Amino acid sequence: MIVPLLAVPLLAAALVALMAPRAVIVVHVVATLLTFAIGLTLTARAVSGVTTLAFDGVLRVDALSGWMIAVIVVVASLAAMEAPRYVSDRAPRVFYPLFHLMVFTMLLAVCTDDVGLMWVAVEGTTLASVFLVNFERTRASLEAAYKYLLICSVGIAIAFVGTVLIYYAEAVRQQGVIEHAPHALRWTALLALAPSLPPRVLQLAFVFLVVGYGTKAGLAPMHTWLPDAHSEAPAPVSAMMSGVLLSVGAYAILRFKPIVDAAAGPSFAQRIFVALGLLSLAVAATFLWNPRNYKRMLAYSSVEHIGLVSLGLGFGGALGVSGALLHVANHGLAKSVVFLLAGRIRAAYGTAELAGVRGLLRALPMTGRGFVLAVLALMGLPPFGLFTSEIMIFAAGFREGHTWAAATALLLLVVAFGGLLRATQSMMFGPAPATAHTGGGWMTSLPMAVALAALVVIGLAWPPGLGAALDLAARTVIR
Amino acid sequence: MTTLSNLLAFLALGATLVLVWRQSWRGRVRLFVVQSLLLGALAAVIGALAKRPSLLFVAAVFVVVKIVIARVLTRMAAGAPLRPTRPGRTAGIPLLVAGALVVVAYVIMLPVSSLASSALPTRGAIPLAFAMALIGLFVCVTGRDALGQVTGFLVFENAIFGLAVVATYGMPGLIEAGVFLEALVIVLLMEGVIVQIRREHDSLDVERLQELRG
Repeated sequence: MIVPLLAVPLLAAALVALMAPRAVIVVHVVATLLTFAIGLTLTARAVSGVTTLAFDGVLRVDALSGWMIAVIVVVASLAAMEAPRYVSDRAPRVFYPLFHLMVFTMLLAVCTDDVGLMWVAVEGTTLASVFLVNFERTRASLEAAYKYLLICSVGIAIAFVGTVLIYYAEAVRQQGVIEHAPHALRWTALLALAPSLPPRVLQLAFVFLVVGYGTKAGLAPMHTWLPDAHSEAPAPVSAMMSGVLLSVGAYAILRFKPIVDAAAGPSFAQRIFVALGLLSLAVAATFLWNPRNYKRMLAYSSVEHIGLVSLGLGFGGALGVSGALLHVANHGLAKSVVFLLAGRIRAAYGTAELAGVRGLLRALPMTGRGFVLAVLALMGLPPFGLFTSEIMIFAAGFREGHTWAAATALLLLVVAFGGLLRATQSMMFGPAPATAHTGGGWMTSLPMAVALAALVVIGLAWPPGLGAALDLAARTVIR
Repeated sequence: MTTLSNLLAFLALGATLVLVWRQSWRGRVRLFVVQSLLLGALAAVIGALAKRPSLLFVAAVFVVVKIVIARVLTRMAAGAPLRPTRPGRTAGIPLLVAGALVVVAYVIMLPVSSLASSALPTRGAIPLAFAMALIGLFVCVTGRDALGQVTGFLVFENAIFGLAVVATYGMPGLIEAGVFLEALVIVLLMEGVIVQIRREHDSLDVERLQELRG
């Protein structure tokens, strides 16, 4: 089951690169649907408690991996449906292969048990997406791609130092010799060994891992590449990067948390998560108070939400971690929809500046309404799912005694809320320009409507099994 | 083994420091090659003395990959301004910072190199390798233009390879392969981006990259 899930996007990437442009779209659609179907089937198995193994355990899908697979395939499908708008006349044989390669690397990162292979996969996500960021080949997108490649490569190399230190810590249990346990970089093996590992080395390793993967996750202060890359990439790529690639970075850190917790006690990792979460919220709130460009606004909103995820992990407890995981899924849905709609708005108005967009509700009624709904969801308003996950995160904060951190975070959320509201309001009303054309029929908006509906369902009444799935996923990283 | 690994790591650190001081691109690329050769030798020595034949193979691949990268780097430097620092600036301050970073590296790596349970013969080289990494990062961050930043990144990456070798006697093969492949791809991507930057801006000066603010 894992092998087909990884093989489909990889094969699709290879096929699309070789095929005639006419057949490309067929392969793209078939591959997307197959990835979606296999991914959700695998998730359903994983969150019901069945751990799937492949390749002698190198690939391993437990409940946490299953949760991430679902988020990846759903966001990738949403983005894939919108992709043809951006590629029709421009280089389909560049865009689609890289798109599927990006999906493949993200899936590999969450499907492997080997933390070294996970590192390779996370680095692969950068390499696959850097050309997509520069797809429009403007000066700004070039600059964004350069910053993205350099900063994320440095970040990921720092994460490699962390991985090396973990491998070192595991091997030096005997005086004067390096003796690696069998499959020593397997997460399961490390978890079993963790209580006997030297705590100070593991703490140091964790700091490197947080800085490294935190760069990919967009946690402040390592977020500086993010607003550029996310705002300059074509909308489907922005949707994938903001919706799920950041969460894959956070997932990588999360995998190391129980290992460090077992070796050095839980408070060390928790303090780091809370501090970075608060800092990310503060950075995002500062920018969101007065944004000038709506795609950058959405990118900073991602910094805000990844900060919330980090806070949830830092507040800890089953409630905090499951709140953070639910937030990852909710944010994936809402942010991909809002980025895809922002792409349509940009196509219609020809600008990403906030000042250039007025009268959206009249010019593009469907897109405008969808955009408002998705932004309201991102603000954490009921009845959307983000409200629920934020409540879970903050309840965990107050319950676990992080009162000050939780209160500060709430205050920062209010600031971000005000900024987002003001900016969205200015886009919605006012005189509509005559030139704006509509964004296609209702069929093309259907996947996004379904995504918003799913957010409402998560916000109002959890479908049967969601609570149990979430609990099982959270328990894989709580001791 | 202790003496040899310490000596090679120390020489590689020396090459890195000279690289910070060196004021011509060709000199810097040559020093990058020297650093790579020394680290390759370090890996080979540890592979031979600790009886890990796979590490000999890794060392050979490492050297080949780095020579390819150095050629790409030379190609990139062909159109760059002659000097990596601004006219009128000396290398004194960067060299001083690099020296301070060596001390910082020793402090940060204290829990690793002084670990009671490990009297690893190569542990003396761990802070040296990490110092190289910090200096590479410093060169990368303070690079005057895209080429300088890429050079810094490559020095940084070399140092991390050295760190992996002295601390773990080599990572698993699959991961080493991934590391090399990615280093190569990153440099080729960088070259592509740099060619485009040069075409767009007629310069590699990163201070001209100012479209995106806020």
